[in-house]
Amino acid sequence: MAAADVRDMLDLPAEGQPRPHKKQKVVEKRPEGITRELYALLGERAPPIAINENKYKGRPKWMNKLRVRPWSMTPFTNNARSDGLVLNHWQRKHESARPPVPAPAPAPSESQMEVDQPKQEEKEDVPKLPEQEYAFAKYNVKPRLPRRYTDDEYNRHLQSDDWSREETDYLVGLVTEYDIRWVLIADRYDYQPRMDTQPDANALVPAKHHRTMEQMKARYYYIAATMLSLEHPPSEMSEAEFDLHEKMLKFDPDRERDRKELAALQLNRTADEVREEAMLLEELKRITSNEQNFITERRELYSRLEVPISVGNTTMYQSSAGLSQLLQTLLQADKSKKRRSILGDGAIPSPAGQTPTTAGGLGRAETPVSQGANKKGAIASKETNQMVRTLTPAEEAKYGVQHHERVSAGVQFRSDRAQRLTQAKSNVQTQKLANALSELEIPVRLFMPTERVCKDFEKLIQSVNMLLDARKVSEKVESEIRVLEAAKMERERKLREAAGITGPSADPEHPHVKKETEDGDAGVLGHSTAPQNTQGAGAQQGDGNHKRSASVLSGASDKSNKRQRR
Amino acid sequence: MNPSNPPQAAEYGGDEVSAIVLDPGYSTTRAGFAGEDAPKSLIPTYYGKYNADGQEKLVFGDDVFVTPRPGLSIHNPIGKDGIVEDWDMAERVWEHSFTSRLTGTKAGNPFQNGLNDVSPDELPTEMEVESEEKPLSDSPLLMTEPGWNPAKAREKTIEIAMEKWDTPAFYLARSGVLAAFASGKASALVIDIGASNLSVTPIHDGMILKRGVQHSPLGGEYISSQIRAIFKANTPQPITITPHYLISSKSAVEAGQPAQAKYKTFPADKAPDASYRALLEERTLSEFKECVVQVWPGPTRLSAPSATGVSNEDMARTTPGRPFEFPDGYNQVFGVDRFRAVESLFDAKAAIPDPDSSFPPPTPAQTIPELVKASLAGVDVDLRPHLLANVVVTGGSSLLYGFTDRLNHELMQMFPGPRVRVTAPGNTSERRFGSWIGGSILASLGTFHQMWISKKEYEEHGPNIVEKRCK
Repeated sequence: MAAADVRDMLDLPAEGQPRPHKKQKVVEKRPEGITRELYALLGERAPPIAINENKYKGRPKWMNKLRVRPWSMTPFTNNARSDGLVLNHWQRKHESARPPVPAPAPAPSESQMEVDQPKQEEKEDVPKLPEQEYAFAKYNVKPRLPRRYTDDEYNRHLQSDDWSREETDYLVGLVTEYDIRWVLIADRYDYQPRMDTQPDANALVPAKHHRTMEQMKARYYYIAATMLSLEHPPSEMSEAEFDLHEKMLKFDPDRERDRKELAALQLNRTADEVREEAMLLEELKRITSNEQNFITERRELYSRLEVPISVGNTTMYQSSAGLSQLLQTLLQADKSKKRRSILGDGAIPSPAGQTPTTAGGLGRAETPVSQGANKKGAIASKETNQMVRTLTPAEEAKYGVQHHERVSAGVQFRSDRAQRLTQAKSNVQTQKLANALSELEIPVRLFMPTERVCKDFEKLIQSVNMLLDARKVSEKVESEIRVLEAAKMERERKLREAAGITGPSADPEHPHVKKETEDGDAGVLGHSTAPQNTQGAGAQQGDGNHKRSASVLSGASDKSNKRQRR
Repeated sequence: MNPSNPPQAAEYGGDEVSAIVLDPGYSTTRAGFAGEDAPKSLIPTYYGKYNADGQEKLVFGDDVFVTPRPGLSIHNPIGKDGIVEDWDMAERVWEHSFTSRLTGTKAGNPFQNGLNDVSPDELPTEMEVESEEKPLSDSPLLMTEPGWNPAKAREKTIEIAMEKWDTPAFYLARSGVLAAFASGKASALVIDIGASNLSVTPIHDGMILKRGVQHSPLGGEYISSQIRAIFKANTPQPITITPHYLISSKSAVEAGQPAQAKYKTFPADKAPDASYRALLEERTLSEFKECVVQVWPGPTRLSAPSATGVSNEDMARTTPGRPFEFPDGYNQVFGVDRFRAVESLFDAKAAIPDPDSSFPPPTPAQTIPELVKASLAGVDVDLRPHLLANVVVTGGSSLLYGFTDRLNHELMQMFPGPRVRVTAPGNTSERRFGSWIGGSILASLGTFHQMWISKKEYEEHGPNIVEKRCK
């Protein structure tokens, strides 16, 4: 009979059965870690909490099939010990290199007996191997100490008024015991001088000498250095030995003591002092960084000084549009530089961008020196200085503080301004100015364009300009004179030709006439001041022997000439 | 890594030799096998003594708390300063600590264990020898001691271990050093607050600096005495602590209302000694310390005005109180008082005066900040900043709520210059058993096995060897 028939008879749905069955099968996938029986008890419903915990994976399954490798409680000795103490630890039994198994007379516990059984079997077929070194014995290290002195050596080299032989022995013993760890040695140092002369302990005990760590160190280093040099004279020492010897000999207990006193002071600062110190440190950091900035700035300036000045270029910046364009490019450069410094590359700042940043951000700490170099810094420092205190005029002069009625925007260089003065409208004039300056041995670009120098330079340029003007006028006048003279000569010649007789009589008067004509000419222009004029002309001639002053003075006389003409 | 392979011994430097670590304290004695992370055996150091059938009987371990036997009196072999006073009983208590859980009793002679029928004439004669079996004959023993343990006590300890217990190897380590090891530090300033003592131990390179060791009696018991003083002056009514064994039933009452409980009464000849009651009261008090007592978190002292101008005490008043129910059902919410109980650990002036207390009022030099200062003054100046950067807090009483925060503030105020760093394990058992854990680490290190004092060495040099070896 088929199952379908039964179902039919019992009025069960034909397909109803397999479906839940199938479902169950899916659910049946039992999570790992739960036994099948337990899972079956749970039924269909999944438990509200996860039963299978994340347990340690353990060994992989295939390993379960391997033979269990036995471990045994094995006695061992430690080579670092001198007494041959035997301790027991668990160790894997190696088939090849098994440590020897002495019978340690173990307690007759049951587990021990089980273990003992195979052990005894194996003992027979594995031959005894030589005992292997205890793995940790190698860590038993001691520092290398100099040889202990002998009596003779002590008496000859190591005598000291402060240290008795007994105390020295005690110290060296302690150093050996505590492996030259001075903190511990100083902590445990407790030397009681032996009372050989006073047998009863209650007798007056001399006040116990308290030794400081420095005293101990000094004594020990002295001993060690002496022993070292006894062993090898300094000439034969290896480099390391010599270094050590030097170091030990140069130990200065007083200095060490002072250092420790300072350290103690440093440690016992009050909260206020700590705060103040932190502040000062901060300040110092800022100052040094400013200094650094300043140095790079100055270097930049110097590098700019070396660049040949492009004369024609500045004209494009003289209009407001040109200036704003310049500012734009500067800002651009500044921005890109900032971005670069964020990226960690702030070592070489671009020449253009540096100045505005410093002037804006770090104005307060600007050192006085920087004022000479950059004007913006001067302004900023002036502002803060006013804030802090008012300076006397002497101090203002000293620090280069200036007051401006109107501060133009942007950065200006004093040297640029001075430079501009040397540019005249015409190239010829500029050339002349340059000639004059070079004649005075003044460089075209000022070396140290301080305020005062600039002012003087300005004055100088002004007067040079004036002189040049005067000279121009005088040249003009001279040429006119020459033309007029030529005309006069012509006229006279014509007159003579016309007269035809008075030739020789006129000749001796010629120089006089020439002089006269000069004067007369001047007289034509200004009759009343004629005598003065001759004086000036005389002076001109008298000083003519020195070229430079002559030209300058001739300018001056020309000037007076000009004044007279007006 | 293949899990079936053991880690190479060189990797963690361990080599376990089934050593036993015994860390005896004033309140509890800890014992366990080296290499484990907590002591297996933790018993009270208190023991009970009573007379039954004309014989003096002793009770050890947790059993002392259980039955109020007639005439049961409680004693402690260790003195208030942490040094053993009663050596015979200390030996018994310590022996109980490891025989009860660790070494067990050896399987006796099968003829004697009562399971076998043996005719009297068959009894072997070497039985007598076997009964003299000593309890520690296969385990090296590492014991701890406080940093101020006198040389006499150290020699006595090794004598007991070697002669009475027959241990093959012995070592005596300072508990401060071990607590530092438990925090993984070889140099540290260990502040250990136990039941009877508060100690500050500077440690350099795994050795204590003797001149810097400081201790004062402001430990857990002192705090209990302060709490008792608070209870006496309690406002709705003075609180008396009735331990559980005196209560037969209780009913719930409102906070601050008198307790409604039926008490057990013992006739005078059946009643246990007063010391038994004191011990059990102490248990209730330690529960109180765990649940209620709190250290004022700082940064300034409780008596000082805070930054806002309100005094810290008023600030403390505004914080919500903590309720506590006593065994007799009396319950109350504790406000500012819960801060005052421990304030005197930091500020001697804040101590609550109590004429009945066995503790004299603390001097300023006994408070934690002063102890730390004195301790640092005793060590080399070059070491001080390093020690302050490695402050290790250990001991059960340091688990008081907010203790480490306050300690941190106090130290930072006292030493504003150097960096102060307080290390306190958050785990309760690591704090309580700090020195045991350090001992467990030490005794399971392969490199340590050269340090043991072996039986042979002891026999050669006598007990004096402990001074030479356990420096």
